Amino acid sequence: MSTAFPLPTNISPTTVANTASLLRIVAFGLISGAAIASRLFAVINFESIIHEFDPWFNYRATRVLAAKGFYEFWNWFDPTAWYPLGRVVGGTVYPGLMATSGVIYNFLHYFNLPVDIRNICVLLAPGFSALTAWATYMFTAEMKDPSAGLLAAAFIGIVPGYISRSVAGSYDNEAIAIFLLMITFYLWIKALKLGSALFGALAAIFYFYMVAAWGGYAFITNMIPVHALVLLIMGRFSGRLYVAYCSWYAIGTLSSMQVPFVGFQPVRTSEHMGALGVFGLLQIVAFASLVRSHVSSKQFQNLLAISVVTMGVLGAGAFVVMTYKGWIAPWTGRFYSLWDTGYAKKYIPIIASVSEHQPTAWPSFFMDLQLLIFLFPAGVVMCFRELRDEHVFVIIYAVVASYFAGVMVRLMLTLTPVVCVSAAVALSTLLDTYVEAREPDVPEERTEASGNSVADGKKTKKAGAATAGSQAGSSAAAAASSTISDFVSATKSNANSRQKGIWGADARLVIILNAIGMLVFFVFHCTWVTSNAYSSPSVVLASTNPDGSQHIIDDYREAYYWLRQNTPQDAVVMSWWDYGYQIAGMADRVTLVDNNTWNNTHIATVGKAMSSPEEVAYPILRKHDVDYVLVIFGGLLGYSGDDINKFLWMVRIAQGVWPDEIQEPNYFTPQGEYRVDDRASETMRNSLMYKMSYYRFSELYGGGNAVDRVRNQQIPKVGPTLDYLEEAFTTENWIVRIYKVRKEDSLGRDLKTANAFAQGKKRKRGKPVSRRRAIV
Amino acid sequence: MKLIGFLSFLALPLTFAASNDGKSKLVSLAASGNGVIRLDASTFDLLTSPSRDWSASIHFTALDKRRRCVPCKEFDPAWNDVAKAWATVPVEHRDSHFFATLDFDEAPTVFQKLNLASAPVVWVYSPTEGSRASAKNAPSKYDFSNGFEAEPLAFHLSNHTPIPIPYKAPIDWLRWITFISGLLGFALILRFIAPVLQSRWTWAVITILTSLTMTGGFMFTRIRGSPYTGSDGSWIAGGYQNQFGQEVQVVALIYGTLAFSVVMLTMIVPYQTSPARQRLQVYLWSGVLMLVYSVLVTLFRVKNRGYPFKLLL
Repeated sequence: MSTAFPLPTNISPTTVANTASLLRIVAFGLISGAAIASRLFAVINFESIIHEFDPWFNYRATRVLAAKGFYEFWNWFDPTAWYPLGRVVGGTVYPGLMATSGVIYNFLHYFNLPVDIRNICVLLAPGFSALTAWATYMFTAEMKDPSAGLLAAAFIGIVPGYISRSVAGSYDNEAIAIFLLMITFYLWIKALKLGSALFGALAAIFYFYMVAAWGGYAFITNMIPVHALVLLIMGRFSGRLYVAYCSWYAIGTLSSMQVPFVGFQPVRTSEHMGALGVFGLLQIVAFASLVRSHVSSKQFQNLLAISVVTMGVLGAGAFVVMTYKGWIAPWTGRFYSLWDTGYAKKYIPIIASVSEHQPTAWPSFFMDLQLLIFLFPAGVVMCFRELRDEHVFVIIYAVVASYFAGVMVRLMLTLTPVVCVSAAVALSTLLDTYVEAREPDVPEERTEASGNSVADGKKTKKAGAATAGSQAGSSAAAAASSTISDFVSATKSNANSRQKGIWGADARLVIILNAIGMLVFFVFHCTWVTSNAYSSPSVVLASTNPDGSQHIIDDYREAYYWLRQNTPQDAVVMSWWDYGYQIAGMADRVTLVDNNTWNNTHIATVGKAMSSPEEVAYPILRKHDVDYVLVIFGGLLGYSGDDINKFLWMVRIAQGVWPDEIQEPNYFTPQGEYRVDDRASETMRNSLMYKMSYYRFSELYGGGNAVDRVRNQQIPKVGPTLDYLEEAFTTENWIVRIYKVRKEDSLGRDLKTANAFAQGKKRKRGKPVSRRRAIV
Repeated sequence: MKLIGFLSFLALPLTFAASNDGKSKLVSLAASGNGVIRLDASTFDLLTSPSRDWSASIHFTALDKRRRCVPCKEFDPAWNDVAKAWATVPVEHRDSHFFATLDFDEAPTVFQKLNLASAPVVWVYSPTEGSRASAKNAPSKYDFSNGFEAEPLAFHLSNHTPIPIPYKAPIDWLRWITFISGLLGFALILRFIAPVLQSRWTWAVITILTSLTMTGGFMFTRIRGSPYTGSDGSWIAGGYQNQFGQEVQVVALIYGTLAFSVVMLTMIVPYQTSPARQRLQVYLWSGVLMLVYSVLVTLFRVKNRGYPFKLLL
């Protein structure tokens, strides 16, 4: 037997095994280090701060949990949110994330390590990313071998698609959910392979943790039944499948019902019916196979087959009837909109309005997954080649997750693990093949044929040299067509019957250098994407000065601290729902609506107030005891995520509730453009949002042209006037503007008239004095 | 004082008579037009007269061929279907809401008067008298972003009618027949195609094609309705969060080629029987891999201008 490169011969197999195991541990340590370190850009560039919107609520809830204990947290009623309704937090929250932080906090404090709760929250996601890498390693090792597992762990450790939701400070449910997803899947595969009730129960326990942590648990609830169902259809029913599935389903469902927010949903809603149906089906199939093994009569077996089919049909019919009768709730809008993609825009604009619910264009896929995105199909092909039970799982996961990721940007997160696993399988198979030192023998009887092919090769080389690049494609096609027959024979014939291997060191070197090159490029890509795109806290913004140094824009916190310092504790602040959690978390003031968008009408009320003229909005504001109104305005700085750009969604959501009073077309110019300059429509210019955004904006430019830098439009010199509100605070870069709602005039006049009087304006004669209209 | 009161009392039946007269004319017009009143300038004024106890939804359109209004033609059947559905409700409700169509060529003056520059447009006038009277005189407009189909139209117009419009989408028999015959046909040929269906490679092809089209951004173009190419013939849409239909094909093809070369290198090349042929294939597929990957990165640089890396190209 010849080898391509010399191998040492005096090493015992035990030494090799031990060294490999040591190297695996070292490699895994390095992978964890890289996974954690690459998520710390945000802390280094900015500071240890909670990011974005939802994490602020989670942080606030965790502080309550850490300070008052779990019991208080469970019964927490928050009167400062959704004023005047309030919110029952304990029953409307997935408590897994807060409980995790609370446990870590108490654990550290028990050992007298006084770590601040904020730092635990900030660093939870990077910590769990190392655990995710470990779970992915275990999962992939079940698919192929530990070396593929290490590659998969390295991929998931640094891939931007996962980093985007787990940088330090991104204290959101997804931070721990992906770890739980992967560990549950790993335990399920393990249970299925061994037919072990122990692993099935462990899978159920982690499933319970997942249910407590993230609404996306429905993905597991449906993935595992679909896998079991496909195995059934493929004729792969076995006792192992029965034990694994039943132990997972029974324990998992019962325990998931202990989460108050979930309650009886597992037996009452359509999302969970697939799991129940497969559970029932498995009982029938198991019963049938048991009976069949005990009776031999032909007639009885026929009878059995008929009765099993009848029972299946009856069961399916019962589901239909119960759904029709309303015993089983139909799909909720959030899930339904994944299938019927036009549904959300029509009926639930509040879901369609969220930026992470938009469909994904291909550059996002490449940005988030880079080379993995094209290794992924290759890995799926390799799963098809072996097609053991666990490979079927990866295949189903690949199809389902790539569809979901295409429909919603946010679900890229569920696609990422399977892409990493599948790409690792592909790349590790490639490397295995080309690192292997043994060379196959040149078969004697084939020498003639090989001589021919050498000539062929020379011919194509000459042709290629003659007509340069254009021929390369056609020669590739020719090679492809000649190899299709090889492909078929390679897959059909037993792999052992034909010799497999690579001749020569140069072929090995080409492939390995190529692979290393691509991997290095991947690392550079990930680092660049992470540091540039995904590490911004979005509470603090950064820009670059002309000399290249970093300039921090801290308007949000400036405004929130102003609220905290200068307003009474019980002041009610109205803003669009995006900023609700931040106001509650940083300013500690009462909010009307927040990111827990449970009450559409309440949000529509705020939308109506924002999109109506002052006279209409004022009674709404007064009825809700609003003291301050907060708007985000990016026109001065060119910050595009501001309220004027979100304004149309406020209009749409308000229109959904008051179609007579608010109508979207009125906010466009007659030509159908969305404008804010002097061509803006009358309704637009009178709306409260427009007025608050551009109030005194043109004065900032003296006599010059006031240009809105987001929309690149010139703002009229005579800006809007406000009668019912007065400007209270505007931040350094005008990103946040806060207005105080004026109280009713003490002399009982209309505020407009009172203002006019105060400014010394004379009443116009000839026009009858308008009587004060009672405020409805 | 008494006299004035008496006079007004006298005048009351008169006004009633006038309004009743107009209303009965509208009712007969609607009955003759299959639920839709074909308006001209004078009947338009009658229908939208300032004192009315009925509501009206008016569809302004331009169906004449010379106007070349494609959406008008698209929308017209939906409008007529909804009006027809309304004609089936009980008389007392039916006669308090009218459906009318005004064609540009029959009354251009009305279009000028209302300052309408585009068609189709649907305006709903609410009644000014009677129990359903509303203070608002300006008509409300139907928002066409809800859809040109009859279903959303009926749903939204029902906000303005005394009772909801009993519109039901007609059963699409053709679709059902195709569906059932397709099912039967499938059952019939199942025996012959069973080996194909049981082959894992059939499913492999389906799986790979699905995931390639999905990762190529197919759902984006479906949901956003992006065109196949730009209006100027370019096939790459500007901007990172945007793409055309053709990009799906190009990107899926690139991903497919790259994945295919990896598959070739692992599953075919090692089984070659001659060293020279194998070497050629190794170099060939490695070359394809590098080259196509460079093309992909270049394409990505076009979409994301700030991307700092590039390969061979």
